Amino acid sequence: MKYLFTTLISLYISLIQASVTTDTTAPDFSLVDSFDKTISLSDFSGSTVVLEWTNHDCPFVAKHYKTGNMQSTQEYAKESGAIWLTIISSAPGTQGYVLSGKANELTTSRNALPKHVLFDPKGDVGLMYGAKTTPHMYVIDEKGVLRYQGAIDDAGGRGFNFKNLLEAENYVKNAISEMQNSQVVSTKVSKPYGCSVKYKS
Amino acid sequence: MNKLYKNKNNFKFGLFLLFISIFYNSITAESFFDAGESSLSLIAESDQINSEETLLIGLKFELNPGWHTYWENPGDAGAGASVTWKLPSGFIASQILWPGPTRIPVEPLMTYGYEDEALLLTKITSPEIISYPVTIEAKVSWFTCKDICLPQEGEVSIRLYQGVKSENNSTSLLKKISKTVPRDFSLPHRVSFLDNKIFLQFERGEAQQISSAYFFPAEYGFISYVANQRLEKNDKSFSLELTPAEVQVKTLNLKGVLKLNLEGASEYYNLDLPLDDKTDNYLFNITLITALFFAFIGGLILNAMPCVFPILSIKILGFIEKSQGSREKMLQHGLVFSAGVLTTFLIVAGLLLFFRSTGDLIGWGYQLQSPLVISLLIYLFVAVGIVFMGNLVLGSQLQKYGFLAQNQRDLTGSFLTGVLAVIVASPCTAPFMGPALGLAYLQPGFGSLFIFLSLGLGFSFPYLTLSIFPQLLSKLPKPGEWMETLKQIMAFPMWGSALWLTWVLSSQVELKSVFAVLIGALLVSICLWLLEKTQNSQGFSRSLALFISIILLAVSLWLIPNSYKSDITEIEGSDYGFSSERLENLRLNQQAVFLNFTADWCITCKVNEVVALNRESIKKIFADKNIVYLKADWTRKDPEIAKLLASYGRTGVPLYILFPPQGDPIILPELLTEDLLVSYVNRIN
Repeated sequence: MKYLFTTLISLYISLIQASVTTDTTAPDFSLVDSFDKTISLSDFSGSTVVLEWTNHDCPFVAKHYKTGNMQSTQEYAKESGAIWLTIISSAPGTQGYVLSGKANELTTSRNALPKHVLFDPKGDVGLMYGAKTTPHMYVIDEKGVLRYQGAIDDAGGRGFNFKNLLEAENYVKNAISEMQNSQVVSTKVSKPYGCSVKYKS
Repeated sequence: MNKLYKNKNNFKFGLFLLFISIFYNSITAESFFDAGESSLSLIAESDQINSEETLLIGLKFELNPGWHTYWENPGDAGAGASVTWKLPSGFIASQILWPGPTRIPVEPLMTYGYEDEALLLTKITSPEIISYPVTIEAKVSWFTCKDICLPQEGEVSIRLYQGVKSENNSTSLLKKISKTVPRDFSLPHRVSFLDNKIFLQFERGEAQQISSAYFFPAEYGFISYVANQRLEKNDKSFSLELTPAEVQVKTLNLKGVLKLNLEGASEYYNLDLPLDDKTDNYLFNITLITALFFAFIGGLILNAMPCVFPILSIKILGFIEKSQGSREKMLQHGLVFSAGVLTTFLIVAGLLLFFRSTGDLIGWGYQLQSPLVISLLIYLFVAVGIVFMGNLVLGSQLQKYGFLAQNQRDLTGSFLTGVLAVIVASPCTAPFMGPALGLAYLQPGFGSLFIFLSLGLGFSFPYLTLSIFPQLLSKLPKPGEWMETLKQIMAFPMWGSALWLTWVLSSQVELKSVFAVLIGALLVSICLWLLEKTQNSQGFSRSLALFISIILLAVSLWLIPNSYKSDITEIEGSDYGFSSERLENLRLNQQAVFLNFTADWCITCKVNEVVALNRESIKKIFADKNIVYLKADWTRKDPEIAKLLASYGRTGVPLYILFPPQGDPIILPELLTEDLLVSYVNRIN
């Protein structure tokens, strides 16, 4: 009985702790964007896609936007022809949960360049991808294969507040550039850092 | 000023300075910083310091209820505090000494940190020449989190004066917290992999006193933060079962902090275990295809084993006799036989999965650790030999009473032959089966079933091929008298196998119990003779024969022993006796060790011992190279050996491991020759 119980528990954990392995197909999803349009990952097959998990009130996210580091990464992606999808998995009532109006205002006021801002209030897509922190980044190639997952750069860990983000090694830019040059992505996984994603509990 | 203060006669002036400094501290509140949901202060174990001394100081975070701050590795989210020291010239600050953390779950994630109060310790070393008073300043950045996170930043400082270290009101707190800074774990421990789980195994006396334990990984991407960790305790050891991280990052060392909760107290230990490529491979890189291939080859080789070969050759003879000309019928028999083989292998696989789910470590050959199974196999081998030698037609009763039509009976016979073949194959561990079955064990769920199916397919492959291409049979001589002769000859390897099993049994049970089983075998023989003698008669004599046979069988079963003999320590006391403790001690002393996992029922093991291990030349080279020879005998059940085998991905014997004085153990092939063994031994210096 005890074993059955622990088996069930670990099964449950493996279910709620889904994740995607780098160099395997990224699972498709459909979410509503800040203009009430339903957007699917498969809409962009043929293009490189960047997924950014965000929560604008999270101090880590705030610093990345305040310093312009996130916007510069978005600009780099855009110039490379990549599609940028910003995903909010904060549940209603938790930090970072916003409605369309606020989301669009944040995009304008911060000069952000996402192709779409998507709402995932149930957290299904976040859990499917194993998104743990804000920010948490994923880069998917034109064939729909996940090529990078983890932090935006190497500025995480202790002393983040003191670090100059524009000097950090940007893993997302590296991945996009290597993919453009038909190279193998050198850093495929890194430890994501930031606030916990505010999933519904 | 320094000079003035040194003038101890000027008591008044000293008092005045002291007053000034206290006043100064209190109005600037430099040692305390309020950041909102948390506050920060800097404390020291003494207010005085002399030159060339080490002083313990601490950054003390006081957190409002419900808020926490992070450990060095924050887990799934957050970040640990970072400190920039501003010290007078010549002073040195150590790295932060992080006290053992606690788990702070944030569903569905897991973070590691401190609640209510956190004290990050640092050791300050003073130089030879100091100008007093000393001001130690720290610029700190940290996160205070509840469901949301606040980035906080503050500067705190503390002043130290000249004098002998003396206790103040912070000393006891600093001393208490410094006991929770992880120490090195000095007792033997190791990491192993099984069934996609990671096991941390530790040796420690009085392990039963541990009420709970947790391993805090220091790095991302090897161990899941959120998964439960299962503690298992034995008398002198305990182990933690960890789950691999969902996203894997190549890791060379498993680093982290082990927390043990004992009666009323917690202990923290630093762990840093190298992960060699081999173990890495076992966990992540072995393909099912490779495993299936080895299983198939292993199954094929089983056919040539002395105990299986007669059964199969007799079956093929029967084949030539009965199915001459009918291709369809041959194919039918071939398929039914394979079905029998596969069904039996699947039942074995099912049992293995069942025992695995209950936490038992069992493997191929495990059944032969039971005197009951050995005794039943002895009876079976004796009986099969008698059937080969004589004229008894099994199943004639069923046919006579019309339960089965002729063809059906033959098909049932084919099926049962398949079952029988697998049962008699069980004592013969073919060289390829060890690794294949070890892998089967490591495969989650259905993977193991496929490996067993592949093994079964390999096993039934020759027979299946013959039934699909019956023209191959035409290469054999025409049926005739020679077949009866061959059948009789085949009885001898059967009886030979029975003899060998008797020898295995003799190392498990008392001599008189072995004798009892031999009497049982005699009774089985009588029983078969009675049945053969009366197989064509009816009425009273047949009924009497049946009645007596049943009684004889019952008695022979009753004679089977069910417990081991008592002199179990026979081997352990000897020079080469194995125990985990002994192995660990030898390895700690950087002693080269050759470990032989063997069992009396393992033919391959015995052959290797005769052709290589027991040779004088090998004994000499072991002595020359100062290699300690240890023998782990698995003839009888031994959980310690089973666990060690499992840690090398095996569930059966033989297994030969050479431990060099330093570095990774070398696993040798399962078929040894003298030259091969010498070449391996020469690899170590």
